[in-house]
Amino acid sequence: MSFISIKHLTKTFTNPDGSQLTVLKDVNCEIEKGEVISIIGPSGTGKSTLLRAMNMLEPPTSGEIWVDGENITVKGYPLDKLRCKMGMVFQSFNLFEHMTVLQNIIYAPMQLLHKPESEAKAEAIELLKKVGMAQKADVYPSSLSGGQKQRVAIARSLAMHPDVILFDEPTSALDPTMVGEVLSVMRQLAQSGLTMLIVTHEMRFARNVSTRIFFMNEGIIYEDGTPEQIYEHPIHSATKAFVNRIQQLRYDIDSDDFDFLQIHTGINRFCIKYNITEKGEPVYALVKEMLFERMRKYRPITIRLTHTEQTDVTALDVMVEHLTESPLTSADRKALQPKVKELIEEPTTRGFRIKMIL
Amino acid sequence: MKNLLLYILLSVVMPQSEADLSGLTLATSNGTYYQIKYSSREDVNLYVANIETDAIQAVRQGKADVYVSDQVMLPVEDQKRLGMKMAFIGEECFDVAFALRKGNTELMEQLNAFLDTAPLNDIIAHWIDGAPYVEEPPYEIDPNAEPLHCVSGANIAPIAYLCDEGEWKGIDPDILRRFAHSLGRPFKMDFQDLGAAIIGLSTGQADIVNANLIITEERAKSVDFSKPYYKCHPGYFVVDPSTGGGMNLLERLKMNLVTENRWRLITDGLLVTLIITICSILLGSLLGVGVCACRRSKRKWMRKSADIYSDFINGIPTLVLLLIMFYVVFASSGLNAVIVAIITFSLCFASSSGGIFDNAISSVPVGQTEAGLSLGFTPYKTFTGIVFPQAVCKGINLYIGECIALLKNTSIVGYIAIQDLTRASDLIRSRTFDALVPLIIVTILYFVLAWLIRRLLLLIIKKEAR
Repeated sequence: MSFISIKHLTKTFTNPDGSQLTVLKDVNCEIEKGEVISIIGPSGTGKSTLLRAMNMLEPPTSGEIWVDGENITVKGYPLDKLRCKMGMVFQSFNLFEHMTVLQNIIYAPMQLLHKPESEAKAEAIELLKKVGMAQKADVYPSSLSGGQKQRVAIARSLAMHPDVILFDEPTSALDPTMVGEVLSVMRQLAQSGLTMLIVTHEMRFARNVSTRIFFMNEGIIYEDGTPEQIYEHPIHSATKAFVNRIQQLRYDIDSDDFDFLQIHTGINRFCIKYNITEKGEPVYALVKEMLFERMRKYRPITIRLTHTEQTDVTALDVMVEHLTESPLTSADRKALQPKVKELIEEPTTRGFRIKMIL
Repeated sequence: MKNLLLYILLSVVMPQSEADLSGLTLATSNGTYYQIKYSSREDVNLYVANIETDAIQAVRQGKADVYVSDQVMLPVEDQKRLGMKMAFIGEECFDVAFALRKGNTELMEQLNAFLDTAPLNDIIAHWIDGAPYVEEPPYEIDPNAEPLHCVSGANIAPIAYLCDEGEWKGIDPDILRRFAHSLGRPFKMDFQDLGAAIIGLSTGQADIVNANLIITEERAKSVDFSKPYYKCHPGYFVVDPSTGGGMNLLERLKMNLVTENRWRLITDGLLVTLIITICSILLGSLLGVGVCACRRSKRKWMRKSADIYSDFINGIPTLVLLLIMFYVVFASSGLNAVIVAIITFSLCFASSSGGIFDNAISSVPVGQTEAGLSLGFTPYKTFTGIVFPQAVCKGINLYIGECIALLKNTSIVGYIAIQDLTRASDLIRSRTFDALVPLIIVTILYFVLAWLIRRLLLLIIKKEAR
């Protein structure tokens, strides 16, 4: 049996108003010792909830979690013993504010592992050196920067000699300038053979450091594979869109009395959001031209604006269902071609698509 | 110029008869016959003070023109010392008697029989004119017997006044002490304002109320009067513009502290204040932990009941709650007033300290608990080792502030006849008619006490939190 094995895990939150929100729908996975697994995916898809369920900070609604051959989800399981072997690093660091850096690290080993103070201290200093924080041993957390706090938090977790450490978005609360120092400590840990589960939005880090990647979407592990599989040859289009950071804006128009102003505003917002404001006006002019002139008689019609952040490519798709021939005339093509980088006319499974690369 | 005008104005105020009182402000104390009499006279303004001393002060400070009371209330010596003089003596003649609970016939018969035989004229002559003291006959007193509990509505010579070592002197205590002893019972007297004293009579917390009480029909409806033991006339007093000057500070200090060992009233009062404050803090904090636990409970009904409790306590003025506890809840239990005060203040303190504890714990971010749990601590150890010390740091100032507020709040216990620090100053004030010195002394004492409590608590809590 695997070191950690998760079976049909679900988690439903009940809001104060009585409404229910299912965050984890059906999560299944096997994790072996020594694996470094990054959990990626869009916001709100249950990445953090899954991590927090693994050490029962967030008790699951149903399903089972087996660790080292024991089912930890049974009622009355000694969770404190489990958590001694399963460290956690939080987005908000959660250092004990009333203790110095050193006290933060030695507190749990002394209290829980009954280590003598001298031994705990010596070890703490070693750990602090490892994360580059030895010179700050006697200061209080409030005087540390975010990056420094997170490095201390990692050292605190390591002091318990856990079998696995769960990292819950460890760099999300950090200034961009401090992300590097924390990631380099984590990279070092990954190379030392520690089992790690990392919820992160640092795509390059996840790709370089992980042995495996879980892509989570809509409350399940959507795709599970090596970094190469996930980043280079994703099976699902959602995975592809996510790893390539493709953003899209889509309008389905089925009659002539649609709200064109709303489309205009939407295009503007989209361009501002993804920092392509210079493309705003040309896109708008093109959409107007397509809808009102070139493809006036084709309804329903779908327009889709996509932007791939990694390659900085923006494309405008105009799609009509149940069409096998291109709706464009040669005059249309002649008029459109100077306005775009590339004009592609292709049939799809559902109909016909005109793709204009801007 | 302003002073001169005031001088002329004051010298004009010299009424010669009741008819001359028209348009003037009369000072009297709460619950007296004069309050009732003059509240129905429309051409006279009434200034009603809580105790006689304050009524006299009102005239001296120009808040009222004439002080009206029983003639004996202000002997000539005191008039001189205070720069006042008698304007005229009223024509009325009143019977003065003791008040008993309605229907307490057994005690009434005993008292009337005693008044028939006692040398009343000689006793009264001693206190008013300085005639020789009439020795008390050697009664047999059973120290274990239930004491005769008298409540004096007056603390003023020569009626009844508290001296050093808690001994009561004056006409009323002298007569009542002899009466108690004649029954073989010990004698006990407390000081309360007359209104409260009368309530105490009906709830059984007092056997007899005395305050140079004039028999009126109105009063006879709610209490039974003994046979009259004295006849008195109303006296009308005004400021005497011809006397001026006064004592220097040293003399005043001496008068307020040294004479009749008055400092002992202060030290005794200080002790009572301290006992009430410290016991209430301890008991109230203990209850506060319970309130906090309820407020943080998972069970809705527990949270709800904690809310209701806090709303209830916060919605009632502490003084009113204290009076309810003393005169209603514990009226028949015979519980010591100090204990009733401690219970009352503990209940109030439980509500406020419970809220402070709850807020302090809530102000520790939930991440601290999660970090503790994720390291492998049990929920209990996470709370005691990680959350609690931080909550202490966050709540300590509010908590100490609440303790000091409690200390200051205890100054209302005088209403249920407890002689605390504030009451001690009242007692001295009513004997010396000096408002400034006693008040300044207790102000300083409260200030020092508050400072000491703050230091002490900081010391203890910081040490415990380590």
